[in-house]
Amino acid sequence: MLKAMINAFLNLFRPVRTHNYPAEPMPLPPAYRGLIEYNEEACIFCDKCEKACPPKSIRFFQHEDGRKEYRYNAWLCIYCGECVRACPKPEEALWQSEAKARPALKADNVNGGWFDWEAECAQSRDDYAAAKKAAKAAKKNEGA
Amino acid sequence: MKKTVQIPLGSQHISLLEPIRFKFECENETIVGVDADVGFVHRGVEQACTTKFDFKQVGFVVARVCGLCAITHSLSYTLAAEKLLDFTPNDRIRYLRMLMVELDRIHSHMLCLAHTAENAGFEALFMQIMGDRELVMDIQEAISGNRIQFDFIAIGGVTRDLTPEMVTLLHKNLDELSGKIADLIELFESNWSLSLKYRGIGALSLEEAQIYNALGPLARAAGLATDVRVETDDFPYEALGYEMMLETGGDIHARNRVRLREIMNSIAMCRNIVGNLPAGEIMEKAKGKPKGEVIVRLEAPRGELFYLVRGGGQNMLERVRIKTPTFSGIPAMMEVFKGSRYADAPAILASFDPCMSCTAK
Ligand code: SF4
Ligand code: SF4
Repeated sequence: MLKAMINAFLNLFRPVRTHNYPAEPMPLPPAYRGLIEYNEEACIFCDKCEKACPPKSIRFFQHEDGRKEYRYNAWLCIYCGECVRACPKPEEALWQSEAKARPALKADNVNGGWFDWEAECAQSRDDYAAAKKAAKAAKKNEGA
Repeated sequence: MKKTVQIPLGSQHISLLEPIRFKFECENETIVGVDADVGFVHRGVEQACTTKFDFKQVGFVVARVCGLCAITHSLSYTLAAEKLLDFTPNDRIRYLRMLMVELDRIHSHMLCLAHTAENAGFEALFMQIMGDRELVMDIQEAISGNRIQFDFIAIGGVTRDLTPEMVTLLHKNLDELSGKIADLIELFESNWSLSLKYRGIGALSLEEAQIYNALGPLARAAGLATDVRVETDDFPYEALGYEMMLETGGDIHARNRVRLREIMNSIAMCRNIVGNLPAGEIMEKAKGKPKGEVIVRLEAPRGELFYLVRGGGQNMLERVRIKTPTFSGIPAMMEVFKGSRYADAPAILASFDPCMSCTAK
């Protein structure tokens, strides 16, 4: 009891233990799990990262000309690092940086936007598959 | 004429941060009957695990069941999945996993003690314990790279290795922490407002603990020797200095003491783990698809955590059943309330350390 009272008195002269956030940035631990970064040059488009991601925050958008576009939703990401673990070319094509995601703004439309985002990527795949099928069928008809 | 009044506590209440509702049947100031209602935060986690996610991803989903025992949840699931895959991790992986679970226990117990102090009207102590808790949070952050959702355990091993800097930080912080906990033990014993308020309040007798199937610190404070850590052999607890902390009072004071002594024991175990860390890979290949059914029990900070996982040889599991410590402990908790004064209810409740986001999942 006495010790606690002495401690309570001494606490008046000790420095504060909280951080002056947001005026000062919070200290991050070394090797903080931050944003996922991607380099299209090195990617072999194996889709492994997309398949591994638990919340499905990596999606490949399929363009009509066959090109695949990497899309990443930083606000959906849980920063688990599974995508990097699945990638056959980690550190070259995909790596986890120590950068934090910026706060989402209204313009980012993260709430309802997630579903649009997912639907758009799924639709692009379906369209591409349908177009390919149609092209194949047309080729077959031509041949016959 | 009816002699009792019904007083609700929750689901939203100043002294109760968890979404649970109690209906107390009170006669004057004394509680004679209790009715509890959980499930205000049902999120459909079990259903999502079997319809939306691959078995490899489920570990990350169940880690989100609870912020405090994230590591225990993901470890329970991972152990279950590994058993279905017939895979046994090497000793280094087992030690690293155990280290994180014990660190988790320390910070969870400290949170509970902080809340108990707060409910005694000791706001300054609440702040102090929460501040000291940062010491162990820092270790966890350094090891896993994240503050709360550790995502440290994956099927086949753990995702990060222990570096020498982390070991230095761990020893430094744990040394500091054990001094602080020793002070806290003295404070909880001798401080007038803490000990006077909490001795003899909310008592659970040994018989009641047995009848109502109490678990975790609640049971150990009543003298019931139950701890999943000694009942299973998934981890080498005995070899690393595990001791069961038993008290006989069964009241809030005894529960606090159990928690404080368990923190000390966990600190010692953490030191032993990093001191005797075996060499080996941190990630091994676990091949195949889960087939069959398995039950895993693990001692979460609050008591026994139970997982049932069933797979049919597919990517998607057939069933994931999670039974959390608070859910299994509710009958014993309700018993404690009977005969107590209504004014003590928040303090008694805080001493159970209930976790509703786990329970309702
Ligand atoms: S870190 Fe995890 S959540 Fe984020 S993109 Fe990679 S796999 Fe998905
Ligand atoms: S896993 Fe790597 S290589 Fe494969 S698609 Fe993703 S980023 Fe590209």
